[in-house]
Amino acid sequence: MAAVAAWLPFARASAIGWVPIATNPLPQNRTIPEHKRGDEKMLINVSGRRFETWRTTLEKYPDTLLGSNEKDFFFDEETKEYFFDRDPDLFRHVLNYYRTGKLHYPKHECISSYDDELAFYGILPDIIGDCCYEDYRDRKRENQERLLDDKCSENGDKNPAGTPREKMWRAFENPHLNTAALVFYYVTGFFIAISVTANVIETVPCGKRRGEKENLPCGERYSVGFFCLDTACVMIFTAEYLLRLFAAPDRLKFMRSVMSVIDVVAILPYYIGLVITDNDDVSGAFVTLRVFRVFRIFKFSRHSEGLRILGYTLKSCASELGFLLFSLSMAIIIFATVMFYAEKNVADTKFTSIPASFWYTIVTMTTLGYGDIVPKTITGKIVGGVCSLSGVLVIALPVPVIVSNFSRIYHQNQRQDKRKAQKVARLARIRMAKNASGAAFLNSKKKIQEMMLAQENCLSMDDFKEDIFQLQHHHLLSCLEKTTDRTHGRYEREPEELNDIQIRLPRIKRSSGSSLNAVDSYKTNNTLTVTTAIVTLPTPSTTSETESESVRTQSTSGTMSPSSHSQNQGVVRISTL
Amino acid sequence: MDDSVEDNEQDHDIDDLEMQVVRYKPEGIDVLCRNTKFSRKELQIMYRGFKQECPTGIVNEDTFKEIYGQFFPHGDASDYAHYVFKTFDHDNNGSVSFEEFVMGLSVLSRGSLQDRLQWAFNLYDINGDGIITKDEMLDIVSAIYDMMGRYTEPMIDDSSAKEHVERIFKKMDMNRDGVISLEEFMDTCRRDENITKGMAIFDTVL
Repeated sequence: MAAVAAWLPFARASAIGWVPIATNPLPQNRTIPEHKRGDEKMLINVSGRRFETWRTTLEKYPDTLLGSNEKDFFFDEETKEYFFDRDPDLFRHVLNYYRTGKLHYPKHECISSYDDELAFYGILPDIIGDCCYEDYRDRKRENQERLLDDKCSENGDKNPAGTPREKMWRAFENPHLNTAALVFYYVTGFFIAISVTANVIETVPCGKRRGEKENLPCGERYSVGFFCLDTACVMIFTAEYLLRLFAAPDRLKFMRSVMSVIDVVAILPYYIGLVITDNDDVSGAFVTLRVFRVFRIFKFSRHSEGLRILGYTLKSCASELGFLLFSLSMAIIIFATVMFYAEKNVADTKFTSIPASFWYTIVTMTTLGYGDIVPKTITGKIVGGVCSLSGVLVIALPVPVIVSNFSRIYHQNQRQDKRKAQKVARLARIRMAKNASGAAFLNSKKKIQEMMLAQENCLSMDDFKEDIFQLQHHHLLSCLEKTTDRTHGRYEREPEELNDIQIRLPRIKRSSGSSLNAVDSYKTNNTLTVTTAIVTLPTPSTTSETESESVRTQSTSGTMSPSSHSQNQGVVRISTL
Repeated sequence: MDDSVEDNEQDHDIDDLEMQVVRYKPEGIDVLCRNTKFSRKELQIMYRGFKQECPTGIVNEDTFKEIYGQFFPHGDASDYAHYVFKTFDHDNNGSVSFEEFVMGLSVLSRGSLQDRLQWAFNLYDINGDGIITKDEMLDIVSAIYDMMGRYTEPMIDDSSAKEHVERIFKKMDMNRDGVISLEEFMDTCRRDENITKGMAIFDTVL
């Protein structure tokens, strides 16, 4: 609305057209006092880059930072400008929003930094113009998915072993956790392979048995052996399935999942075979059931990431596959019909019916061309040619979509795995950097304390620069130390998470010759107001005990206890006053 | 009037016509200052607002309707906007340039009573033949009622516009010939105090 404020005088002027035909006298306008409609220019300084704009431009959107009086907080009296310590490149886009009413998203910017800027200036990202909105949404979704992934995997790693049931479930899902899970993983894989191989070899002719005339397949010759093998495999699979079922956090969901269905289908034929007696009419059905044993090969998908990705791809390309199927069947029916009527009157023709022609059409369209059924009339041959050409086209169309989908999902997966692998190394490097900054912090803290100490003793230490901010900061930290009866100290590299203030310390070596010892309470005792103390904690498992120990000793030793070194533990303790 | 149409995009396909962006440059500010009753500063402010909404320098009817509609969110202002647009568009080329805009505004906000009444008459006279017929008046009145929207108190129905028109004609049509001429219009309006007062209230401080 405010964007067209410039047109309001015009709209009011055109309302003169209402006057002659108004039913009632129109109300008077409130006289506006003589106010200079000064449209002044506003100076906005964003990290050194100056922007200027009219005041009315900014006031177009009064619910944002720049449009409301919130910007008064950033007003610099001396230079009479608004100073923002933010990214000047991104500010460009924000200002353009005020100018043109459309917010654009620059493609080369990081999505989260852009979001931060928008949040700072109080602009909703939904206002992004149509030209850039899709891009923004895509990037945002990608980012959030990645964050979610990371968080999930973090949570997964962080969780210590819960109940035995949870442990088992985690072992099943992630075999690399401990050796038992790995062994289980390989054993099941081995048995799947054995089972599948046995099924295959069963049907190979094994040579004559003594006294028999025909060549029997191996399955019948060594039927007992194969039966025992089959039984063993099925028992292993059943045990595995039952264990998984027991360990699953959500049993119904687990039973509905694809993998468990495959498991069931793999072992069911055996049990059904056991139950069904040697009846003639059902034994035919029983033989067909044996076919389902081949599904055991799908159990390998737990072991192979690639197979899972393939399955997932096919699922996600369901619409393309459906389209392929549909168009193929349409084409088959058309061509089969035409072929049938073309070849109907040929003597001894194989095209006996339209369904019989289906076979020819399928073989031709997929360019197989077995040759067991061929057209003999000229029309038939022409139609056959067209059929094979169109077959190539119809099949070639949806295939690239499926391929690109597979490629995308595969690469996504690879990236995820790579990220997880790199994360450990990355975290280690980040820790080292934090260590360094933490060490610098402690050094400066020591200097401040020395300086304060020197001031207490009226020594002139004019080497140290007086930094008000640092002084106050360190004063604050020493207050904290006093409050909690703990202190900060030096530390070395140790694989632990670090925050800025709370520093968990590993064992330290006894330091000699450092400035720390210069202010040891060994020499000067009662006049000390502040001493540094280092409380180190040995291995985390014994943390609780030593902490309580140290608290006890500190409390019993009173306020002016001398320092105590217990070197066998690697703990240097100098109590604070 | 300085009419400079520049071809900004030269694609030699079928879309050539669509690609031509018409850029319009108005007269210098001094000329406009002389021809209208606005000061330089006022013209500056108006042009900035004008150019902000219409970067090409001219307003076509759709943009005009859109802008006008923003002031009347409850109803449908497109009909009335159409009539206003026609009245502003002196040379009837389907677009209003900044000069036309400013001249029209000058008449309306700084002009004499005579000028304003003349403008109003031109607005009502849709086909520009110098007389206002009942149908034309009905169109205008319906357009104004449309701007009010659906939810009014009391409700607007089909007959309200007709009744209104009858009332107006009873008042203005002196010789009862079924149409209102310019003289009848002027006479009636000048004599009616409400109307003369009403003509002055829409002055806006720029």
